[in-house]
Amino acid sequence: MCLSVFVSNKFLNIFCDKHDASSVLQWAVWALFLWPCLLIVSNPLDCREDSGSLTHCPSISREKLLDRVIHHAELIYRVSEELCTLFEDMFIPFPLRLQSNQAGYACITKALPIPSSKSEIEQISDNWLLQSVLMLVQSWIEPLVYLQMALDRYDHAPEVLINKTKWVSEKIMSLEQGVFVLIKKMLDEGMMTTAYSDPGVLQNGVQPEELESIMKDYTLLSCFKKDAHKMETFLKLLKCRQSDKYNCA
Amino acid sequence: MKKAEGVIILWSLLLFTPHAKGTSYSLPGKPTLTNCRSPEKETFTCWWEPGSDGGLPTTYRLFYRKENSDTVHECPDYRTGGKNSCFFNKNDTSIWVNYNITVVATNARGRTFSDPVDIDVVYIVKPNPPEKVTVNTTWDKSLPYLRVSWEPPHKADTRSGWITLIYELRIKMEGDDEWEEHPAGQQRVFNIYSLRSGGTYLVQVRCRPDHGFWSEWSDSACIEVPDYFHQEKSMWILILIFSVFILIILIWVIHMNSHTLKRFILPPVPGPKIKGFDKQLLKNGKSRDVFSSLVGSDFPPTTTNYEDLLVEYLEVYVPEEQELMPEESKVPHKSSYQSETSTSDCDSGRGSCDSHTLLVDKSEEDKTMGQQSTQQGGQTERDLKRPEESSEEKYLTYSHQLDQPDSPDCLFPPGPLSSHFSPPGHKPVLGSNYQEFSFGNTQPHALHHQTGTHQYLQDYSDINNANKEAPAGFRLASVRSTEYVEVQRVKNDNMVLLHPVSSDPEQGGPERRHTEDYSKVKGVNNDNGLLLLQRKGSDKEMDICSYEDQQMSEPVDSGYTASIAAALQKTPAYVHPATQILDERAAGGYVDTSIFPLPTY
Repeated sequence: MCLSVFVSNKFLNIFCDKHDASSVLQWAVWALFLWPCLLIVSNPLDCREDSGSLTHCPSISREKLLDRVIHHAELIYRVSEELCTLFEDMFIPFPLRLQSNQAGYACITKALPIPSSKSEIEQISDNWLLQSVLMLVQSWIEPLVYLQMALDRYDHAPEVLINKTKWVSEKIMSLEQGVFVLIKKMLDEGMMTTAYSDPGVLQNGVQPEELESIMKDYTLLSCFKKDAHKMETFLKLLKCRQSDKYNCA
Repeated sequence: MKKAEGVIILWSLLLFTPHAKGTSYSLPGKPTLTNCRSPEKETFTCWWEPGSDGGLPTTYRLFYRKENSDTVHECPDYRTGGKNSCFFNKNDTSIWVNYNITVVATNARGRTFSDPVDIDVVYIVKPNPPEKVTVNTTWDKSLPYLRVSWEPPHKADTRSGWITLIYELRIKMEGDDEWEEHPAGQQRVFNIYSLRSGGTYLVQVRCRPDHGFWSEWSDSACIEVPDYFHQEKSMWILILIFSVFILIILIWVIHMNSHTLKRFILPPVPGPKIKGFDKQLLKNGKSRDVFSSLVGSDFPPTTTNYEDLLVEYLEVYVPEEQELMPEESKVPHKSSYQSETSTSDCDSGRGSCDSHTLLVDKSEEDKTMGQQSTQQGGQTERDLKRPEESSEEKYLTYSHQLDQPDSPDCLFPPGPLSSHFSPPGHKPVLGSNYQEFSFGNTQPHALHHQTGTHQYLQDYSDINNANKEAPAGFRLASVRSTEYVEVQRVKNDNMVLLHPVSSDPEQGGPERRHTEDYSKVKGVNNDNGLLLLQRKGSDKEMDICSYEDQQMSEPVDSGYTASIAAALQKTPAYVHPATQILDERAAGGYVDTSIFPLPTY
């Protein structure tokens, strides 16, 4: 149906190819043609509204959905990596080019209960992995919007930088939706417990008005890049934890 | 004073001695962190490059600080990674955490800090090369291919998905310089086709994480491809050879039939088709042969009655004694064929000499004819001799049958006239005709006795035979004894009255005349003129030979002859063509100059 067509077209066009401006444009064209589907897909509540209970969207299998979510996350990470490099080359003088935020600005997602080591990750369940991913994704939606607005205020921000930021902010939202649907699927299949943290619990400690300097933006981008990598890793781990069909060995 | 100076010098020396040794103690040089690498995203190692040691034993220490923490930690392991390295084990490694690492060089003089480096473990992953690279030869429909398999590095945790590795392999033949690279994705097995038979190959594999650095190439795996025969190639070779063979045959066939093909494509232009025309004969033979072949049997008519040809006789008949109706004889003139024919054919109509009436009469006298024939034959022989002797002279003699002075005198001139006998209009082929005629009538002398006709014909043939020898055909070897006709008088311009002169047939030769009154005709020139000979005034008989000699030299005596001689001297024996009478009436070769009026010049 519409969802499958939209998802397949969008994901295939973007995930399978290397991300660049042409693919962004291509995705935009597809989005333009399939805008009615956007309304459907962008609202994952459709699956819930069919019936009182949580129903799964039968249009796509779980494995395929997970693969596509993983591809989506990979793409977001690559774009974030390019964003950091572009910003660094443009605005950050060489002596200050440090990967860590020496200025003391912590990443906004520092406070999240996210496993930070392999040993921790091995211990948590799939459920928590996915929840962590969801938390991460949801926590970055607003900062990216802010970042997009901040870049517009720059005098000499290159077009590429702005476009990529815009693209990422859009993509993160679609990733959220995808993860949400995935959670739904897994819950339906009994792989997840119903107890999951309320997304609203996450408090975004970053106040938009505090992030004003360039260094803050730079820190923001770096943190985002890292979190994107986290998301990708979590999803891949989740994938390999699934049934034996996944050949992760 | 002197002592103080000495102490000062001593102290200065002591102070400067260390410098004089050449070593200076200084701070150690600034070390630099070259790189930090994590093989499996769980541990990592950092290496640094030491600076100058400053002449003193220098120690190096690595300190790090995690992000958002001010606690400075020192490297837990300086040995595992080798010299000038620091190894962080699993417990000390935090993922997605920035490390601020600094190396400090310390010696007796002081410490020197290196530039700090921030790293995040997830970004510095460089796995170990793949392990257990094995290559096997596998057969697929009698074609071999290589099956390469490997294992990920044992440290990398790919099973849980912690690291996702992407592989790449490369292959080359032993001895080659360039490798052929093949990306293999995340699979652990790879097939290589299109191998060279009997070649030795080297295979290497490397890997990298999805976001990281490529590993080093693994150790080469060596494999030797067995010899195999590419059947498909051999089939194509066979087809090629076969087609070449067929092509050669085709070319040979075309070459053999090139003429036929050429004729088929470019048909030859048809040549003229004339019945009886032989092109080859035209090329090779004489024109005479060609035209003779062209000439059919119909043409010219050879089966004509030769008798009909003998129409043009000099027919003289004497209806009365005094009158002679000379007929125009067709005295052959050398070049006057036209004149002959131009002259009116005044055939008296009483029948030619060769007519049946005449022949019948003559047949009565076979016996005498036989004698005469013999005589004639003898004379013929003699006459035959003459042309040989007198090659320069041509005698126009009349000869007729001796046996019939009474007959309506048919003086048929000898052969020269017969040379005339060409059917009107067939002059050009007279020669051949003449010959044919003569041939046709070449009957042995035995026929003499048969009929007069035959005799006549025989005479003719003899004459003709004799004349054949002569060029121009009418040098008549007067083959017979001749009976002469004397010109009685000149009647008109065109007529000469002749009367027979009795002559003894026994006598030979053409002389027997009163040589005084006669001039011998030397010959006939081209312009319708008779060439008269100068004669000498001797009336004795002479042989022709001697006569000839005399002719040349002796002048003419008589008055008439003198005139003529004068004329003759002028132009020896030239007679004005106006006097055509003379041309036509060469009676026995002599012309009686006494009778003739003065020739008008």
